[in-house]
Amino acid sequence: MVATRRHRAGLLVLAAAAMAFVATFAVLSLVNSGSGPAPERQLDGAAPARTTDGQIRQLQTQVREAPTQPDLWAELGETYLQKVRETGDASYYTRADGVLRRALALKPEGFEGLVGTGTLALARHNFLGGLRYGLAAHRVAPGLARPLGVIVDAQVELGRYGAAARTLQRMVDLQPNLASYARVSYLRELHGDLPGALYAMRLAVSSGGGAPENVAYVQTLLGNLLFEAGDLRVARAAYEQALARFPRYVPASAGLASVDAAGRRWEPAIRRLRGAVARLPLPQYVVQLGETEQAAGRPAAARRDLALVGAEEKLLQASGVNTDVDLALFEANHGSPARAVTLAQRAWAQAPSVRSADSLGWALTRAGQAQAGLRWARRALRLGSVDPTFLYHAGMAARAAGHTALSDAWLRRALAHNPRFSPLYAPRAQAALR
Amino acid sequence: MRRALLVAGLALALLVPAATAGAHPLGNFSVNHLVTVRVSSDRIDLGYTLDQAEIPTFQERDLPRATVLARKQAEVARALHVSVDGRPIALVQGKGRLSAPPGQGGLPLTRMELPLTATVHDPHRVQVDDETFPDRVGWKAVVAAPGKGTAVHSSAPSGDPTGGLRHYPKDMLSSPLAERTATFAVAPGTGTLTAPKAVGGETTTDRSGDGFAGVFADAAAGKGALLLLILAAFAWGAVHALSPGHGKTMVAAYLVGTRGTARHAVGLGATVTVAHTLGVFALGLVALLLAQFILPEQLYPWLSLVSALLVLGIGVTVLRSRLRARGRAHTHDHDHDHDHHHHHHHHDEAPSKKTILALGASAGILPCPSALVVLLAALASHQIPLGIGLIVVFSLGLAATLTGLGLLVVYAKRLTGRLRIPAGVTALVPALSALAIVAIGVVMTVKALPQVA
Repeated sequence: MVATRRHRAGLLVLAAAAMAFVATFAVLSLVNSGSGPAPERQLDGAAPARTTDGQIRQLQTQVREAPTQPDLWAELGETYLQKVRETGDASYYTRADGVLRRALALKPEGFEGLVGTGTLALARHNFLGGLRYGLAAHRVAPGLARPLGVIVDAQVELGRYGAAARTLQRMVDLQPNLASYARVSYLRELHGDLPGALYAMRLAVSSGGGAPENVAYVQTLLGNLLFEAGDLRVARAAYEQALARFPRYVPASAGLASVDAAGRRWEPAIRRLRGAVARLPLPQYVVQLGETEQAAGRPAAARRDLALVGAEEKLLQASGVNTDVDLALFEANHGSPARAVTLAQRAWAQAPSVRSADSLGWALTRAGQAQAGLRWARRALRLGSVDPTFLYHAGMAARAAGHTALSDAWLRRALAHNPRFSPLYAPRAQAALR
Repeated sequence: MRRALLVAGLALALLVPAATAGAHPLGNFSVNHLVTVRVSSDRIDLGYTLDQAEIPTFQERDLPRATVLARKQAEVARALHVSVDGRPIALVQGKGRLSAPPGQGGLPLTRMELPLTATVHDPHRVQVDDETFPDRVGWKAVVAAPGKGTAVHSSAPSGDPTGGLRHYPKDMLSSPLAERTATFAVAPGTGTLTAPKAVGGETTTDRSGDGFAGVFADAAAGKGALLLLILAAFAWGAVHALSPGHGKTMVAAYLVGTRGTARHAVGLGATVTVAHTLGVFALGLVALLLAQFILPEQLYPWLSLVSALLVLGIGVTVLRSRLRARGRAHTHDHDHDHDHHHHHHHHDEAPSKKTILALGASAGILPCPSALVVLLAALASHQIPLGIGLIVVFSLGLAATLTGLGLLVVYAKRLTGRLRIPAGVTALVPALSALAIVAIGVVMTVKALPQVA
């Protein structure tokens, strides 16, 4: 009797425990399934997803949940590339490369994967690769504009300007937007059509769209064109608008610095560039800082800052990167002209554009081969460019080769639009003319 | 000055060297820093680690090492802020160490390790803001470490996947960390830490000497044979019962004073298992559903108090009934001979079911933090059946120790029962055991009270 009662008590405890177990399990499962979609709701919310970081987080989550969706991988890769544009953080190139490879492995003919891989190839100066992937994406979706943008960029850098113009016309016809107008502007500028380039860039700015950085970028490009055209007041306004849209945007800060330097306001110019270099020590801004300091009569500071470019060059070589037009020009101006010639020749072999031709011509001129320098300078000007730096290089080459009349004509044209196009080289051009 | 006018797609393309990612995954101009935070009851220790890539190091090449170190320390002094319960506190910098590990292209890197301390008194809410080196790209992280005499609930992860900024994850699906802020909810404790895992949303613990959470992590990751892991969970539960505050002494004291049998000892074990499992689930639910209002750590002092009061109540009840029984026994003595109740133990009452339940509840009501961590980790990693199963096994291990102890007491009593011990001594045992339970209850209450207040 007592024993059975004890058994019953034991059974009761067991039953209670089992019930508690099941109930808890049910509640926990409910709680868990409820908490699952919560982060997504948060990410779908307006604020976080609109920023590039928000998009990256959202796509990373989506990719983890659906790792066999090639388009998600590709979209993540392109968002990583946007992150590099905004921060200059090169580590995102490696990530973009990895996720884009996954996208193409999952779907070799995937449109998004091909466009993303093409864009990455261009960013890594692999212009032929960019062209190949752009064309492949175009074959997959002939009616879409984005592959045409990749193709145009590659063709321009490869010096195929006629083909680039034809591709760009198709792109504009398909989709007249920020991306296509900005490219129209660049092509017009290369051909010396400054008013046309300004008009197209204004269209690009007013089209808007995309990430805030994209608009800030075309506003900065508009500022650069206005600076080249000598309209310093409006150029400053364009840079300030870019900074209002994307605060602490380094390219726009550098633009404001060049406006300051043109007005011989050395202090604010150097301060802005120091800030830019502290945030993003890219060779371009370091060179601008050093040349501004040199113009301001501070050779020691200039030497010190320009040495940084040398260090960056070392790093490029250490990681096996094919060198740049910018580095060739740096060597020609501030380093060893002989090395500049080697670098520029490699740049030309890689990308036979007017930019490469200009750097090779200037390197040769600085290395004492004025005749060859002049030949390459003519090549750089073959499209009719009014770029003051191209004209300055050509003028100095012609002068060194003994063609004074030709030199005067080019140097006058260099100074025609903006007599202060560079704090360092504009005065040198003026001195040569006297 | 040649300005590269490039179309939007090429933006930084011609400017950013692509493969510099090779050696320093975060780029040759990154400035990476990591703050390790250890909150103890009387002090906060921080470790600030700086890893500066080639280019920013080169930018400082003309400066003497002492100046570089002074600059870094000044930056930390300027921009690393700690506040306790809403008030900023002063950080004392220790001796910083500067080194120059080799980087890419024959260029050196800059590495600095700087310890910092702050004296505090029983902090409740600690916030760390690392605003050093704003605008520089790089890995920025705050990492939590367990302190002394505290139970910390951290918003920062407990793990550092970079090994102190020496190598960086190459996972394509995670961005470089940009954590500059962390909050820590602090309660008195034994050096426990609850923090999100470094990668993913899992939680983990860094409790010294308890591997139960590690067992779950292994099981969830599919490492090790499941049977072995179940055995390990059981073993951790059994070992855990030996740590202070699981009512061992009380169980022993109670059973010594009663006519308890093996059956009672097993029943007690079963109650502890159920009570402990339910306690873990209840606290887990509180942690999940009421996380905004109350932290599980804040519940612990209250649970301790409830447990202590339960023990005190049991002690008082048992003492009263035994004193009454002893009174009756004395009057009884005049009518019967002494031999008789040596064999039948008339002084000892059989343990009541109610008391056994209360006893089991008081022993099991205080959930082990590691079991709670396992539950939360199971929820976060969608492994609920596994987590619950392991917790039940863990509770069984806990109960096994207590049951074993109970059985030991029961059989030891039988053994002593056969020995001819003077009646006066045996008669005193039940009252003494009840007094012992009261004393344990009082000590537990006294210890729990200041934590609640």
